[in-house]
Amino acid sequence: MEDARKEEILKKLAEAVVEFEEDVAKEWAQIALDEGMNAFEAIMNGLAAGMETVGDLYDQQEYFVPELLMSADALYAGLDILKPHIKQADVKKMGQVVIGTVQGDVHDIGKNIIKLMFDVGGFEVHDLGRDVPLEKFVEEQLKTDAEIVAMSAMMTTTMVGMKKVIEMIKAKNPNVAIMLGGAPVTQDVAELWGADGYAESAGNAVQEAIKMISQLRKLQEQD
Amino acid sequence: MDENMAKVIFQPSGRRGLVPKGISVIEASRLLGADIEALCGEKRVCGKCKVRIEEGFFEKYGIDSKRSHVSPWQQKEEEKFINAADREAGYRLGCVTGIEGDLLVFVPEESRAGKQIVSKAARDILIEHNPAVKLYTIAVDKPSFEDPTGDFERIGKKLAEHYDLKDLKIDLQALRRIPSALREGDWQVTVSVWMDQEIIRVRPGKFEASYGLAVDIGTTTVAAYFCDLSTMEVIETVSMMNPQCKYGEDVMSRITYHMMNPDGLEKMSNDIIAGLNQLIDQAIQSTHPPKKKVKKKKDDKSPQEWVEVPQEGKTYLRLSGDDIEDITIGCNTAMHHILLQLDPQNVALAPFPPVIHHSLDIKARDLGLNINPSSNVFILPNEAGFVGADNVGVLIAEEPYKKDEVQLIIDIGTNGELVLGNKDKLISSSCATGPAFEGAQLAFGMRAAPGAIERIQIDPETHEVDYKVIGRDAWRKYSEPKEMKAKGICGSGILDVLAELYKAGVITKSGAFNKKGQKSDRFRKNPDTKFAEFVLAWAEETSIDKDIVITQKDVRQIQLAKGALYAGCKLMIRRMQMDKLDKVKIAGAFGTHVDREKALIMGLFPDCDIEKIVSVGNAAGDGCRAALLNREKREEANWVSRNVEYIELTIEPDFQREFMEAMQLPHMTDEFPHLEGLVPEEILHQK
Repeated sequence: MEDARKEEILKKLAEAVVEFEEDVAKEWAQIALDEGMNAFEAIMNGLAAGMETVGDLYDQQEYFVPELLMSADALYAGLDILKPHIKQADVKKMGQVVIGTVQGDVHDIGKNIIKLMFDVGGFEVHDLGRDVPLEKFVEEQLKTDAEIVAMSAMMTTTMVGMKKVIEMIKAKNPNVAIMLGGAPVTQDVAELWGADGYAESAGNAVQEAIKMISQLRKLQEQD
Repeated sequence: MDENMAKVIFQPSGRRGLVPKGISVIEASRLLGADIEALCGEKRVCGKCKVRIEEGFFEKYGIDSKRSHVSPWQQKEEEKFINAADREAGYRLGCVTGIEGDLLVFVPEESRAGKQIVSKAARDILIEHNPAVKLYTIAVDKPSFEDPTGDFERIGKKLAEHYDLKDLKIDLQALRRIPSALREGDWQVTVSVWMDQEIIRVRPGKFEASYGLAVDIGTTTVAAYFCDLSTMEVIETVSMMNPQCKYGEDVMSRITYHMMNPDGLEKMSNDIIAGLNQLIDQAIQSTHPPKKKVKKKKDDKSPQEWVEVPQEGKTYLRLSGDDIEDITIGCNTAMHHILLQLDPQNVALAPFPPVIHHSLDIKARDLGLNINPSSNVFILPNEAGFVGADNVGVLIAEEPYKKDEVQLIIDIGTNGELVLGNKDKLISSSCATGPAFEGAQLAFGMRAAPGAIERIQIDPETHEVDYKVIGRDAWRKYSEPKEMKAKGICGSGILDVLAELYKAGVITKSGAFNKKGQKSDRFRKNPDTKFAEFVLAWAEETSIDKDIVITQKDVRQIQLAKGALYAGCKLMIRRMQMDKLDKVKIAGAFGTHVDREKALIMGLFPDCDIEKIVSVGNAAGDGCRAALLNREKREEANWVSRNVEYIELTIEPDFQREFMEAMQLPHMTDEFPHLEGLVPEEILHQK
């Protein structure tokens, strides 16, 4: 495939995500496959690159939650087509993530956005959903041996549950990285409770996750 | 002087005193009674508690105030709210600044917790007269050798004979008054009987009036209607800020305060009780003539005397606390639990069960309320964890369960409560609108106090802004700039601003500032934050000496709040399998101030005929009043609280999508045929 054509396909995929055009994302994902493009490259340098732009726009306050979620829809639309064609050899196994909204909390929009980012980033995601009993995080981590546990809480009252989970997990397995997110969570709280990562808001979490994706892409490029 | 104490003076209030070293400026302000805004409950995120630490020796106060007398600058928290110039001038955040020595603290106007204007006036609603407390004047036979029966039994006998009141109990405090009352009144007494069950007061002679108070405890404001129980007249409406606001602006932060502090629940409960007693006192004082100081000679050291100055032609009831014989209280479930010192923790944890649904009758003296000690306080029942007794109040005031027409009732507060249905079925729900509609979290948000922008109009041709502030009748257009003295923007202004920005094309449907269509220099990038903002009032029109703006972030906050309400309404309409609304009622503290056209333009709820939208004001308070004046409403309240089906919206499968789509203006995909002609076509149908 010519470089120019490749660039064009990647650009179209990225644009489809930024403009939240699901049909366009599907169309160009199919074109990428038909023309023999590497599916993993199409995802990382096309769809995910688009999401990176979306994250920037969110940061500049041009985009808001609806735009983020619509972009995510477009990304998933392309991803569904491309994912089955990823060659295992291409994927650097990024690791596993256990994710969920803590007990007592039923808000999960933020959690779903983060989950998407992990998905895109090539992580194997174990989504426990919402209102997750605290012990369940510990059990799932032990079962899967996941490297990251990501928890979200949207209410100050449920946030305190996170502290217990951190204690329980760190007691059993100090090497697990723990990420916290959600409106009431602050950097201080995260540090105080011994979490390894913190995301101030959905957008900030997107940024964090996108940084991870960017890192990943750089690693891929170096190969 | 104790070396562990520091002298602190707050200006301009002049509050002063010794405080223990180590506490924060906010804590000191609380100890000394200087009000500083702390919307976030000292979580270090709202930036509203900015104060200036003065430097130097102030002879007038005999105080040596130094910036080194406070704890070091907290870069992470403070730089977000205080720019370099202000930092240089000595500004700090009150919540992170610890006191280490003597201080003179200046509280700038925007940080002062202003006196709120609460418009919770009572409306005319039809209430049947059947109060819980009724008066009976009876003549009792004197005791004789033939009939030496006890005083209480003699009264009971007459009440049974004449009014068919049997097996009455009596409260001990009332019993203590019987012997003297009978004899002072020459064997004629007026007896106050509660619910045909219990005697709560015995007075000598004949009385025809008794009084009661209907109280609505909101998360942010508390309002009470002082009523004549015999004529049903509202004598006075009194209101105040909920004194618990200092522990945090919303229900969640109050519950967290309880979870984090062993004595938190008791403290918050005591505060609201003290607040209620203040309201009771205000109500009582309103029945007395105003007083003024008696002029004294300069060297007269005798205590200050006061003299009454009655208004001509006005009669005063001159009541005392004892004359209030009944109180009804409605509040959301969290306020309910905190008032009664019931653990509110589980109300905030899914699936949000309250400690109790049913109504309660509690002796006023057990709650520590300064009214007639024998009287009973009626606490309205709760529907669910997030839909409390206040919503039951709304229901018994509006009575949707008696109507054929399908009503959607939206009670806008810190939490939005929704009720939908008619006599066949009623469902309720709550949505976390957050405090944005009440002014919190916005750059220039404030409570409804003097100087708050409450009405806004934006000219679509020029993008010039006209507005009105509380406390001044003339709009900006008809005023000199310096006459406006604007200070911020309050709830009703916040509702206006989104609709106006959208209608004038300042922002697009998505809520982002329109990059192409700006027509004035009001739109700009903030030089410090680099984020987009729109100037509502120029510095010269304000009392805070800076431009009042609405930022992109503010717009986003309002979008979140309105999106939650809209999504809630839509999901409920779907749940009831309905395709149209017969009526939309908007209730809430600023319910009467809502401009229904603008509410529809911003997409607070799905499209409907503007004529069908009505404002019902403080319906929760009206419901409390109905329960005060008609005892059957109390039964009805218990019935309705258990017969409204509560729906948790956030667990509906497509809540996320509905919420997201509803954040746009007026909505991402839903049609708004009733806005044709109200909003320019190119704006209404923009892509």
